[in-house]
Amino acid sequence: MRRPFDLRGFGAVLYKELIHIVHDPTTLVLALALPLLQLLIFGYAINTRVEHIGTAYLDEDHGQIAVRVLDALRASQDFNLVYAAGSREQLHELIVADKVKIAIDVPPNFSADVVAGRPAQLQVLIDGSDSSIADVALASASSIGAALSAQLDPRMSVTPQLIDVRPRTLFNPSLRSANFLVPGLIGVIMQIITIFLTALAIVGERERGTLDQLLVTPIGSTGLMLGKIVPYAAIGFVDFLGVFAAMLFVFKVPIAGSALLLLVLAIGFLLAALGLGLLVSSVARSQLQAMLMTMGIMLPSILLSGFFFERDAMPWIMQLLGYAIPLTYFLEILRGIILRGAGLAELWPSVAAMLSLGLFLVIVASVRFARTTS
Amino acid sequence: MTVTIETKALTKRYGDRTVVNGVDLRIESGSIFGFLGPNGSGKSTTIKMLCGLVSPTSGSASVDGHDVVRDGDGVRLAIGYMSQSFSLYGDLTVDQNLEFYGRAYALEPASRERRKREVAELTGVERFADQQAQTLSGGWKQRLALASALLHDPQVLFLDEPTAGIDPVARRDLWDLLFKLAGDGRTLFVTTHYMDEAERCTRVGYIYDGDLIAQGTLEELRALPGVNAPGSVRYFVRADRVMTAFARARSLPYVRDVTIFGRDLHLVVASDVDERRLQSDLAEAGVSIVERIEPSLEDVFVALTRARASVA
Repeated sequence: MRRPFDLRGFGAVLYKELIHIVHDPTTLVLALALPLLQLLIFGYAINTRVEHIGTAYLDEDHGQIAVRVLDALRASQDFNLVYAAGSREQLHELIVADKVKIAIDVPPNFSADVVAGRPAQLQVLIDGSDSSIADVALASASSIGAALSAQLDPRMSVTPQLIDVRPRTLFNPSLRSANFLVPGLIGVIMQIITIFLTALAIVGERERGTLDQLLVTPIGSTGLMLGKIVPYAAIGFVDFLGVFAAMLFVFKVPIAGSALLLLVLAIGFLLAALGLGLLVSSVARSQLQAMLMTMGIMLPSILLSGFFFERDAMPWIMQLLGYAIPLTYFLEILRGIILRGAGLAELWPSVAAMLSLGLFLVIVASVRFARTTS
Repeated sequence: MTVTIETKALTKRYGDRTVVNGVDLRIESGSIFGFLGPNGSGKSTTIKMLCGLVSPTSGSASVDGHDVVRDGDGVRLAIGYMSQSFSLYGDLTVDQNLEFYGRAYALEPASRERRKREVAELTGVERFADQQAQTLSGGWKQRLALASALLHDPQVLFLDEPTAGIDPVARRDLWDLLFKLAGDGRTLFVTTHYMDEAERCTRVGYIYDGDLIAQGTLEELRALPGVNAPGSVRYFVRADRVMTAFARARSLPYVRDVTIFGRDLHLVVASDVDERRLQSDLAEAGVSIVERIEPSLEDVFVALTRARASVA
């Protein structure tokens, strides 16, 4: 039987795969051009609508009116008050770390001012990364402020209102939806290309009947696996660079954080996506099966990862499922770095989760692969 | 003579289905072993177990001194394998296919070049070096597959239906090549459906429904008790109107079996019937030759298969 983690034959398989790729320029062009095309189409076309936005608050006032304001926010469909912060710094950190999208600050003397009939400011910090969330939060907070003002003092129903909602949009102040969607698309598109390419490359070998011929040679199972996936990982990375460039120069989404960190983590994500592709290839008996299984992974990835729908607004079981999807973490990383300028300090939970999930997938896939090849 | 391939009670089960059932084989080095049996009888599974592609459920097998379960690496370096379907890369050229297998066997660049040249010359594929493998004819594809299997100079070759679907001339040429390889001292294990190929093998084994029901030289197999039913002999009959002869022969009470071979019939008849009686009983069909014959390998296998099927 074959030894596990046997690297022999890696160079031979790599040599052969590169020739396959060169001999099939159509596929290569498709693999490189489709991601860009998809990015352009989706980037211009997609828009979404949200509720139950994760919200943190800081009550520096501790008065009666503050309680009424917070109750009104709780009662609305739009906000989900999940964190009570202890300080303004913490409030800000919660947004940068993407724990919440909205942070509401009730300043000291808020109740006293209102009772005395002086307009009191209610600070609303909005994570503008996702423009649709930001729009909803803005409109909703303003209307709650207006409604409360009217209740408290019917005479003063016009500006300046008694409760003066002061929204401040962080990160994406112009509220462009491209800024939010395009970074997510990068993750989605990379996953599509990588899973398909790996799954089909290995299953194709099985289908053509060439796998047995490989397995009577001393090529090790790890050598075979790596030799097959390295070229496709490289294509996946070139795709990443392409759509990344399109994001910067076509959609003009500025990158707030470290581009280098993003590149490194993109490689980590490729690892996880390749693991999924390998897993598919170790189960599928035909290319058709591989395609269907890949679709079966793609749809939940797109729907549950937070690409379309805010994960906080999903039922808990769907949120839980989302944690099993590498794309979920990569989306957080992409949006964190590009939109909020987050670094490893804020993103490490996602980074750790994505890398361990990727490593886990690759190990499970290699073990399965070694088993099917021995 | 040394034994190169040996199996003891080699068995493969998938669930409760026994595909190969307690097969014992002893194959001497430098010989060509012909492995026959109907489709689905366990031929390919046996080869795959011997090549280390499928692990046996029970029993043991060794190839060139390497145990197939414990020393898979030893087996892989000692053997060359040619599967029944074309299993090289059609989009790679002849030279690139050889280059890939040379690398897969981790041959050093210098010896890789030398071996590529040697096997390409031996099999004659060198003139197609820069042609994509998928453009070769069936016979040449098989020669390329053989060349790839020979790159690392293995002492044992497993060939799973190497001549399936190729034309008769290419078939003859490929067999000449196989004899040359056996002449060099290599051991060949070949499965085939062609009786004429099987008759050229040093020894033959016949597997039916997972059981190896006979093995030996052609003479040994012909002498098996089940092949010549007690009290019966075989006749060769040539007739002008073969279908008439066939119908007539079947109606004769002393004829036990009739098979058509083109213009000829093979009859199994009671041993007290002589040539003259057959000649006169089949006269209306225009019989020209009636001759006593030894059973052919096909007769042997038909007899063994029928005996087996009637037991089951």
